[in-house]
Amino acid sequence: MIDSNPTFRGGLFHADLPDGRSGASIKLTRTELVAEALCEGQPQFAIPLNECQLDLGGASGKMVFCRNADRSLTIFSEDPSFVAAVAQSAYGTLEAQFRSLRARRRGEANRFRVGVVAATLAFALVCVGVYFGVLAAARTAVRALPIRIDEQIGEMAIQSLVPEPRLDADHPATLLAHEIVQQLQPHAAIPEMNFRVLVVASDEVNAFALPGGQMVVYTGLLKKAESPEQIAGVIAHEMSHATLRHGLQGVSQSLGIVAAVQFLVGDLGGLVSIGSQLAQKSILTSYSRTAETEADLEGARMLHEAGIDPVAMAEFFALLEAEVGDIPDVAAWISTHPQHAQRVEDIRRLLQGLPKKQYRSLDLDLKATQQALQ
Amino acid sequence: MKHEMLCRPSATAVRFALDAGEGLTCEVGAMIAMSSALTVETTSRSRGGGGGMIKGLKRMFSGENFFLNHFTAHQPNQTLLIGPTMMGDCVHHPLRGGTLVVQGSSWLAATDEIEIDTTWQGFSSALFSGESMFWVKCSGVGELFLSSFGAIYPIRVDGEYTVDTGHIVAFEDTLRFQIGKASRSLIGSLLGGEGLVCKFQGQGLLYCQSHNPPSLGQLLGPKLKPA
Repeated sequence: MIDSNPTFRGGLFHADLPDGRSGASIKLTRTELVAEALCEGQPQFAIPLNECQLDLGGASGKMVFCRNADRSLTIFSEDPSFVAAVAQSAYGTLEAQFRSLRARRRGEANRFRVGVVAATLAFALVCVGVYFGVLAAARTAVRALPIRIDEQIGEMAIQSLVPEPRLDADHPATLLAHEIVQQLQPHAAIPEMNFRVLVVASDEVNAFALPGGQMVVYTGLLKKAESPEQIAGVIAHEMSHATLRHGLQGVSQSLGIVAAVQFLVGDLGGLVSIGSQLAQKSILTSYSRTAETEADLEGARMLHEAGIDPVAMAEFFALLEAEVGDIPDVAAWISTHPQHAQRVEDIRRLLQGLPKKQYRSLDLDLKATQQALQ
Repeated sequence: MKHEMLCRPSATAVRFALDAGEGLTCEVGAMIAMSSALTVETTSRSRGGGGGMIKGLKRMFSGENFFLNHFTAHQPNQTLLIGPTMMGDCVHHPLRGGTLVVQGSSWLAATDEIEIDTTWQGFSSALFSGESMFWVKCSGVGELFLSSFGAIYPIRVDGEYTVDTGHIVAFEDTLRFQIGKASRSLIGSLLGGEGLVCKFQGQGLLYCQSHNPPSLGQLLGPKLKPA
């Protein structure tokens, strides 16, 4: 009678078996689950269906386990037709057990998924928190460091970052830029900083500041300017980067973020060293939008104190933006800086808060300098 | 075919005595020495089984090699000596119709009758346990040899059992494993250095290893000089 029923491949656990386990050939009768062990002697074991306790599990989560009342015998199979046959046997009495098992498994799987999503979100939040924490900590820490560190970094960077050819110290263009720096220096946030200016012979409209007060102005920018006050505007902006110590902040923030990433993720080895090498130039000479806005406002304050109209700085931005379309080189300086309209508005708002002042014009011959550059 | 474990437990090698016509499938690079009347055949499929390229690729994902080496004896009384990559022990697991799920790098050798396939263990096991997404699945009736990093010990699980990630060698497919926290709170689990653990449920045999390759890597990695 047993032989007329279908056979399923599976296994069984019982203390009488060698190692307590064996593969088995399983048959389902009207009243019993019968397993024939695939080991020596091929002993047979049976569980009456009315005392069968079902469980779902195994590596796939889809294996069906049938146990007797005292759990001394377990018959299992992963064969899909076995699952269907067991569910329909014993006049449907096992179907209810199956349904509750499946519901429990679904609940567990859902809870696990929710847990994974929550853990991923928490990790992302920690990363964002660490990022902004490091930025804030770096800003605070940099203020406590001596200016000498900025100067040393700036000196190291001159050779690699300032292009050739550079104009002589007695060239009219260098003298003009130097004179502007002299007039602005007493009004800088750190007047004792060693401000110096180098003029690079290049048609690129560009200027940048290195940490410690070294500034670099391109002849292209001097030729493009319509008044000495506009040049003063750019130089005041660059001096502000130095006095606000944006270069050192960039370095320390990058180092801090690298350290934080290493702490969170583990050693990134080669990736970090390549990344840090690539970042060196951009860290020292280009700043975040926030830093640019800070430099605008501090530059405008310096110009106001020095009696130079800060609107000249805004005018120069406008001039550059108008020409970006025609001359690709102009893009160099403006591309890293905030939107022109926003900058002008920010400067005007700052001036409203400052006491009214009669602005003077700079007694410098820009035309002669521009002719000397031709 | 007879086998003997040599130099147990810290630097175990397995010596096989094969009769004419007997064969063994081994992990690539496992052979230490062999008699002259043994031939080696390297393929991407199990001996006599199907698969080929696809199974080879799946094995690669599980941390095993694309190729398998089949050793066949053509004369009686041939000796084959094999050993694992990592310092540690080996274990013989007689497979009698069941299925054993083996962590990729722990599979060492199997007799020709055993079917070697790969099984998917899910993204979460790979992301959170440090184990691979694919595991080697061995089924059939035959002899299976596993290797471990450090000592290897079997546990008969009946109910629940927790193993730290990276310490699993193999488990019978009647066991279900899930990733869980070591202690009740996640913060506690992380601060306690145990982090996430593998929780086994059900009835079956589990092999664990005393050491864990990723931990050794994390210890040594930062001290190595870049090339």
